[in-house]
Amino acid sequence: MKLVVKNLKKNFEKKEVLKDINFKFEKGKIYGLLGRNGAGKTTFFNCLNEDLDIDAGEFYIEDNNAKRKMEAEDVGYVLSTPNVPEFLTAREFLKFFIDINKKRIKNEKTIDEYFDFMKIEEEDRDRLLKDYSHGMKNKMQMLVNIIANPNVLLLDEPLTSFDVVVAEEMKQMLREIKKDHIIIFSTHIMELALDLCDEIVILNKGILEEIDKNNIDNEHLKNKILEALKEEN
Amino acid sequence: MLKTFITSFKLQNTYRTNSIIYSIKQLPLIKRILPNSLYKSKGLKIFAGIISILLEIINIFIGKIIYITAMIFMALSWYHTNQADTFIHIFTFLTLAGGVLNTYMLNPTKDKYYAIILMNINAREYGLSNYYYQLIKLIVGFLPFTILFGMIAGVPLWIQITLPFFALAIKLIVMNYCIYDFKKTNKVSNENLPTKFVWGFVAVCLLLAYGLPAINIVINQTMFVCVFIIAIILGIISLVKIHNFKDYRRMYKQVLTESNVYMQEKATGTQVMKDTSLKQIELDKNYTSNKSGFAYFHDLFVKRHRKILTEAVKKQSVVILLIIIAMIIGIQMNNNFKVKTNEILLVYLPYFVFIMYCINRSSSVTQAMFMNCDHSMLTYRIYRTPKVILGIFKERLKTLITINLLPAFLIGGGLSLLLYLSGGTDNPINYVIQFVSIIAMSIFFSVHYLVMYYLLQPYNVNTEMKSSTYKVVQGLTYIVCWYMIQIKMPIFTFGIATIVFCIAYCLISLFLAYKYAPKTFKLRV
Repeated sequence: MKLVVKNLKKNFEKKEVLKDINFKFEKGKIYGLLGRNGAGKTTFFNCLNEDLDIDAGEFYIEDNNAKRKMEAEDVGYVLSTPNVPEFLTAREFLKFFIDINKKRIKNEKTIDEYFDFMKIEEEDRDRLLKDYSHGMKNKMQMLVNIIANPNVLLLDEPLTSFDVVVAEEMKQMLREIKKDHIIIFSTHIMELALDLCDEIVILNKGILEEIDKNNIDNEHLKNKILEALKEEN
Repeated sequence: MLKTFITSFKLQNTYRTNSIIYSIKQLPLIKRILPNSLYKSKGLKIFAGIISILLEIINIFIGKIIYITAMIFMALSWYHTNQADTFIHIFTFLTLAGGVLNTYMLNPTKDKYYAIILMNINAREYGLSNYYYQLIKLIVGFLPFTILFGMIAGVPLWIQITLPFFALAIKLIVMNYCIYDFKKTNKVSNENLPTKFVWGFVAVCLLLAYGLPAINIVINQTMFVCVFIIAIILGIISLVKIHNFKDYRRMYKQVLTESNVYMQEKATGTQVMKDTSLKQIELDKNYTSNKSGFAYFHDLFVKRHRKILTEAVKKQSVVILLIIIAMIIGIQMNNNFKVKTNEILLVYLPYFVFIMYCINRSSSVTQAMFMNCDHSMLTYRIYRTPKVILGIFKERLKTLITINLLPAFLIGGGLSLLLYLSGGTDNPINYVIQFVSIIAMSIFFSVHYLVMYYLLQPYNVNTEMKSSTYKVVQGLTYIVCWYMIQIKMPIFTFGIATIVFCIAYCLISLFLAYKYAPKTFKLRV
């Protein structure tokens, strides 16, 4: 399965934020999306999540050489600022999410098993989400997106609010689930991208380009990425 | 200090100008034509700058003329006391109340926050220069109207002129007291959240201002002169102390906190709005739900927001019930009241459009729905599938209609009962029409607010209101309801028209919501 983006364009008035995006994201890989501030990473995610209308181009799922529209069920979007319904407890939120995704969940587990999977402590499971810390909310957001089992997971700086231990756990978890998903992971932290991601993609001046990682060590790769990010038109 | 004042005035003018351009850019249709580069346009900046200065000039006078007309001049006709003395009497006590309610200096405005906190402008120079400017505005704004209305009321010219200076002196004395208190306790309170003591003082002043003339007691001109002389002496001493006070920065640090400043402008104070919304959530372990899916989700929302949903409506209902009982007693005891009530009830049904508009909870409920629920849920793509959106929409519609129906039943039933007790109507069907039209109005407002929310979802992920169309619709709703107050029409005609309109409106808007909400109900970017 692939997520294919073709000639995607997005302008804000005269400013061309996404000029001509062409890319194929494949299942089983984590893509590290790097770009400078204001490069358009979030705009790109918002377009794929249909929060923003695109000005030109298209994106679709290619499955066994058949092309189909990317539906709401195909996308999970984890924002850098976690958003969870604060009037529910964590358990209630999971119950609701499982209820509405019933048909799509493979091998449904019990709610406590999901909590165990995400390492959410027992005493936190029946607390209102409004009393959760930023990092805990982020964990919940990640968990429901994983339970919904979307084909494409868009992660916008998801690990920045985690402490080092949880961040390591999350990285491990992403590595475990990547075989069933297309994961696109935006970050400013180059080391994180190099450590976690299978492919490095750079969004610069409205264009998306892949950095070839083959046969170079991390230090050279870093320099190559920096050069690419500094590049003028 | 003058330099600081000019800088701060320019700064204020710049963001006022930008706000005017922003407002123009928010207008439906126009916003599509105008580019962002508009903020660069020199011509437009000059134009908006002129409007901004004109607004400032109007602002100096408009508040004062409304204040003197509504609070003092119009009240004169209630009393049999000497008009000139009553004018001075009310002005004096209202000035005392106004003095403690608004010091100018300690009002946590955005202007001060930007200048002192964000831009690090010298707090003493900024605070004092702007304070003096406000005091000059006070004199300039008051003087023409104390002379004009004072003259009509027969107040001697020299007192007409001294009145604004009396107000000035009171402001200075109160401000000096605040500084004295700050020096002593290291604490300064937010004047927009007056203490019980302040409210008590204001209540006493109001009682003295309007109560004493009712029992034919007013202060005479000699007494005013004594009070004025004392105020002026204390005012001058206060001015010297205020001017010599050095620690404004520390004082402003306490006054200009984000929550104080943004409480002023709730529409943009999104964090404050969000905090308020979060406080509305109550966790009670007993409130669980046996339902599933959307119904489960919505059921918990309703149960955790009892304060703003059911409890507010219960309080409303108690008040309505008390008013109806009072009316019934009035009708039974006073024949004149009975006749008047009957006359009014027969032609004043349109007035109830405005009342139903005021008591309908849907606007604040949809806001809470966004802040505490949709704000987070709309970021999940699965929540925006037509099945989920329409499923939750249906649940919400049922709830909104139901909770608003309780007061509607009371008002509808109460009106029919009052109509009957006050002498009845020639056409008995009027009882039914009156009742049904009130219920129809209630359902109309519930549907209207929810459908508008789903079709125009006005907020972005930062909980900022981004839709000018939504604001225009809100404004239009208010204007139409307000206009209804002026209309007098027989129950039968207006009632039938209302019922037909409400049914048609609900059917059309529900159709539109079902057709378009899956596309329109998303976070604004």
